[in-house]
Amino acid sequence: MSISILRRRRNEIQARPGSGGWSRRFPLAYRLLIPIALFEGLFVLFPIIRGITMAFQFTRGGITYWVGLANFADMLHDPTFWGSIRVTFEFALCMIVIWLMFGVLLALLMNWSFKGRGLVRALLAIPWAIPDVPIVLTFVIMLDPNVGVINLFASWIPGVHHQIPWLSSPKLAFFAIVIMAGWKGLPFYALILLASLQSIPSELYEAARVDGAKAWGRFRAVTVPGLTPTAALLVILAFIFAIQQFSMIYLTTGGGPGFDTATISVLIYLQAFEFFNYNYAAALAVAGLVMSVAGTTLFVVLDRTVLRRQYFEGRTA
Amino acid sequence: MAVDTGAALVADRNRRRRQRQRYVMRRHIGDVVRYLTIIVSLVIILFPIYWMVLSTFQPEKYELTWPPPLFFKGFDLSALREAFTQNPIGLWLGHSFLVSAIAVVVTTIFAIPGAFLLSRLRWRGAAIFGFCLLFTQMMPGAIIIVPEIQIYRTLGLENNLYALSLIYAAFTTPLGCWVLKASYDAVPGEVFDASLVDGCTPLQSLIHILVPLSRPGLTAVAIVAFFGAWNDYLFASAFISDRSLFTEGEGLASFITAGNTALYALIGAGAVFAVIPIILFLAVQRHVVSGLTAGAVKG
Repeated sequence: MSISILRRRRNEIQARPGSGGWSRRFPLAYRLLIPIALFEGLFVLFPIIRGITMAFQFTRGGITYWVGLANFADMLHDPTFWGSIRVTFEFALCMIVIWLMFGVLLALLMNWSFKGRGLVRALLAIPWAIPDVPIVLTFVIMLDPNVGVINLFASWIPGVHHQIPWLSSPKLAFFAIVIMAGWKGLPFYALILLASLQSIPSELYEAARVDGAKAWGRFRAVTVPGLTPTAALLVILAFIFAIQQFSMIYLTTGGGPGFDTATISVLIYLQAFEFFNYNYAAALAVAGLVMSVAGTTLFVVLDRTVLRRQYFEGRTA
Repeated sequence: MAVDTGAALVADRNRRRRQRQRYVMRRHIGDVVRYLTIIVSLVIILFPIYWMVLSTFQPEKYELTWPPPLFFKGFDLSALREAFTQNPIGLWLGHSFLVSAIAVVVTTIFAIPGAFLLSRLRWRGAAIFGFCLLFTQMMPGAIIIVPEIQIYRTLGLENNLYALSLIYAAFTTPLGCWVLKASYDAVPGEVFDASLVDGCTPLQSLIHILVPLSRPGLTAVAIVAFFGAWNDYLFASAFISDRSLFTEGEGLASFITAGNTALYALIGAGAVFAVIPIILFLAVQRHVVSGLTAGAVKG
């Protein structure tokens, strides 16, 4: 009796029968979808489409011309565009290395049971909660070539002259940004890796111990394979975060010196709001769009194949 | 013979005791190394925060000296007071609160049905909906800024804080949906089914069963939305050009980009701006961190 009611009720989730044509034609899912689709469509989808059309146009003196692929042709011949692609990938690679390496280290530290673990875990997560602007303020002060504390630490290393111009040399500016963004993102990665670490069954460690594996052996045979699926997703996530990162880079170096620290996001912003080449910026944005669609697709494919998790399959309970 | 056995027993006992001592010592050394590593990483990770606080309260005459003093040389509030009186920092903070609060409310309103669409409903198009949400969440804000500013100009919505907060909500709603979905999924299926058997429509089950049972998830959604709006510089800098309407992030950043103010004078205002989300995070982290991380990997 109740099972048949349950089945009927469940079917109503797909389409509610019997209560008029309107709700039959528009099941609950679509009625719930409409507001959110309108909202996201208005603020995200429509601007994306508008941006793509802008990339094929050129505006001068209030008159808009269709110019076909001219903006893209400019883009492909623009060394700063290729430079920004290179910087974006280099930045992403550095983020991946920092976040995964130190993230795993921190996760292992926080996975040990010791007194005050909760407090340490909360303290380590603080950088994640700080907005970009105060982080930039603090790091710019710390990196000051004349009186910055980082240069004080550097001067303790024998043979290092203390006035290191962190933000005016291309290599050092890039390094400074990597440290800053790495510092802020690290807690997030450590917490996710910690969750993944805690989901590894302790029997596996026991079994490895019985088989005579030492600490390093257990790490290689149990921890590493247990973390690999999460780590694979985090690699793509780090790549996406690296494309997204704007304010720290822009406020610290302005993409400079030259364009040496301009990722694709920063270059789009510079072209739009400093050089006022709106249409060219729109073409660059299409390149950024392609990169982030590729990243998202890769994420979903990896998520569904390697991990065989089924996020989109409706109810899992 | 008996003596021999006795000697062998003693030797054996001694050997075992030495082994245990060595084991205890090795564990002891392990503990020391472990605690040292934890302390060292804490010091390294918290050092910039320490420096922010130090620079806020360090008396002015120590701010620009070489070598910079590593510890407090005094406790001086004048720089902080000056920052607040010479610039409309209180007003900007108020604007940040306003846009963040609106973003939190709007995000929650959209995430409650959005997460339901991902979690309990079976419908055609769920996979596409999921991908679209994921993409919106992963999309860099910079690629949409140019067309968005033109649309806002056409509609006369420049320098409008309410319009700005709606953009924040649009960008945090997808992550909110994924975070809340994890929370809905954690509600046992039997509870949801029981409410259906008892005569709830699916919508009633959502409102009366799922939402009240996923309060930690809702808190996590609010945190995500608040941080998203509070942290932003990109959209604020593009849409708000009137200095009297700046958010705190944009206001502080305007001094950095102008480059003619000593940053030491601003660090106090920056610290106040940073301490609000930190307090918020520490207050709720025990309850929401698992929800945040779960939703973030999924979405």
